[in-house]
Amino acid sequence: MIYSIAPLTTGNPFEKIVGWKDDLITYDPDAFRQYEKAFPEDTARLINFGNPYAGDFSIESVLEAGTDLLLLDVGNLFKAEETGLIEKMESAGVNVAFVDFRRNATENTVPSLLMMGRILGEEKRAAELIDFYIGQMRKVTNIVDQIPADERPLVAIENAAGWQADFCCWSFGPYNFGRFVELAGGVNYASTLANAYSVDISLEGLIEADPDHIIATGANWIESRPEVASILLGYEGDPAVNHAKLQALADRTGFAQMRAVKEGNMHAIYHQFYNSPYHFVAVQQIAKWLHPDEFADLDPQASLEELHDKFLPFEASGQFWTSLK
Amino acid sequence: MTDQTTSAGFDAAALVMAYKRRNLRRVGLVAGAVTIMMCLVVLDIITGPADLSFGRTLAVILDPSLASPKEQVIIWQLRLPVALMAVTVGAMLGVAGAEMQTILNNPLADPFTLGLSSAASFGAALAIVLGWSVVPGVGGLFVTANAFVLAMITSGCLFLFTRLRGVTPEAMILVGIAMLFTFNALLAFLQYGASELQLAQLIFWQLGSLARASWTKVGVCIAVLLIVLPYFMSRSWALTALRMGEEKAAALGVNVSLLRMSVLAGVSLLSAVAVSFVGAVAFVGLVGPHIARMIVGEDQRGFLPLSALCGALIMSGTSIASKAITPGIVYPIGMITSLIGIPFFILLILGQRKRHWQ
Repeated sequence: MIYSIAPLTTGNPFEKIVGWKDDLITYDPDAFRQYEKAFPEDTARLINFGNPYAGDFSIESVLEAGTDLLLLDVGNLFKAEETGLIEKMESAGVNVAFVDFRRNATENTVPSLLMMGRILGEEKRAAELIDFYIGQMRKVTNIVDQIPADERPLVAIENAAGWQADFCCWSFGPYNFGRFVELAGGVNYASTLANAYSVDISLEGLIEADPDHIIATGANWIESRPEVASILLGYEGDPAVNHAKLQALADRTGFAQMRAVKEGNMHAIYHQFYNSPYHFVAVQQIAKWLHPDEFADLDPQASLEELHDKFLPFEASGQFWTSLK
Repeated sequence: MTDQTTSAGFDAAALVMAYKRRNLRRVGLVAGAVTIMMCLVVLDIITGPADLSFGRTLAVILDPSLASPKEQVIIWQLRLPVALMAVTVGAMLGVAGAEMQTILNNPLADPFTLGLSSAASFGAALAIVLGWSVVPGVGGLFVTANAFVLAMITSGCLFLFTRLRGVTPEAMILVGIAMLFTFNALLAFLQYGASELQLAQLIFWQLGSLARASWTKVGVCIAVLLIVLPYFMSRSWALTALRMGEEKAAALGVNVSLLRMSVLAGVSLLSAVAVSFVGAVAFVGLVGPHIARMIVGEDQRGFLPLSALCGALIMSGTSIASKAITPGIVYPIGMITSLIGIPFFILLILGQRKRHWQ
């Protein structure tokens, strides 16, 4: 959530936040430390309300904190309806709003930002961010529209590659990263198999499909789960370390023999693009990988830096993608 | 007088004949099951998203040097370990369930109902959610290691319980069920606090998967089977006697409590290894032995191998089905095992008029 609140807020993004959940600390410690550096008192002050997905979400502590508004991911809608969370909150005078940067991220980012802008009283800033977002997305979609179907390469996404040492692969259907691939001018492999958010694909099927590109997602998970072999992308990503990690994933049985790997078309991208309005950066970088000639002039790194300069309280640093080639 | 002797002599001959026929029938049934299993394994190896012909697959298996790198990976690294894993794990669960039912004299006993699988799931959850490793220094295998250790601890508890004075098989089952609920509750605690990604991994683990098969794991499974199965076979007579009742078995010279403990140790090893490698697969250990019993009866010499084969058949069928539903997608085997085994089970129940468990 902070990924969208921070760029929307003109001053201190934590000013209006009374509590949150600790997944930024667990799954993206690099980004958390950036916020910690910028706003040390606020990051320490926040209350952990727990995980609404799992159920340890504490209504009482939400009320205790004097909350006016509860902002949830749309993935929690069913659960909130089932447990009567919305009614309970409303009867206590707390509004509940749902945003979506995750399931239908590319369709719902703009309405989510508009709504959050209104809620936070940052309409002007929201309009600027939306303009920026749409402009950045258009840089890709305007060109991809011209690319005929038979020139769109087959792309396999490996969700959280290296999270489990002995299993391959989680992938996305036509949602989230699967959708990013389609917008970037590729054919998403798992979308050809199932219309689901998450798809467990078999390694043999992947070898047989022989995709043109393989894109693994990764972030700095090693602090909370030391056994992961993931690529540690993020604000503290070290290119040398990450290249070695990507190479190790490419050397796994089955992968090493695939055409995409041999031709250097195995890539890794920052996993947290999946849950924030910054996914336009991912779409741009994927487009650049899939169609290097058409997008020769596109500079995703510059887009990322521009986003930080204009909207975020700290600079872009570290590494957010890498490639074998 | 003469008449009586002849009739007694005739009866004896008939009995011997009948006994020989039964023996022959048993050998035939086991041989038949082995043949079906072979066919399923072959079918398992030739099915998959990659379109490889039977001839080509066979040629590559017989002479690995023929294979292209792609075929080498698909056949030798992906399909063969999975196919063999299915068979060995199925056999392990089948045997474990069969002997659990025998020593506890209860048709509902199996590694799953006695909490061993729940314990293993809890161990896996400790690893997945909290990142705790029960055994230090196992690296990426720590989910498996945790599952194994917790399952072994649970059967250790069951084992210690048998050492208490005057403990009946019924009491042991109740303790097993208590374990089941304890670990399920502990597991729910961890699930409650798990993140989305952890929850996905945990559920995937619990539903079971053969996709994690490797040659090392197949090797471990075969080694465990080779240790435990011959021991169980060597105790067939005693185990068959036990099914006639504890007193009768004791009267026949069987040391019942020693037998029960040693078999429990073997069963624990089998199920802990199986569950830690493929996840908490229900059904196979429970119903595999029942299918075997309906076909061949109570005599361990037929019952034990056929239980192993039934388990192997169910798992092998599951492995094929999980690949066939949507090529390219992996379906967890736990979702399918029951669906594969149940139609056959129901058919057998309907076809039988005899009570097998009194």
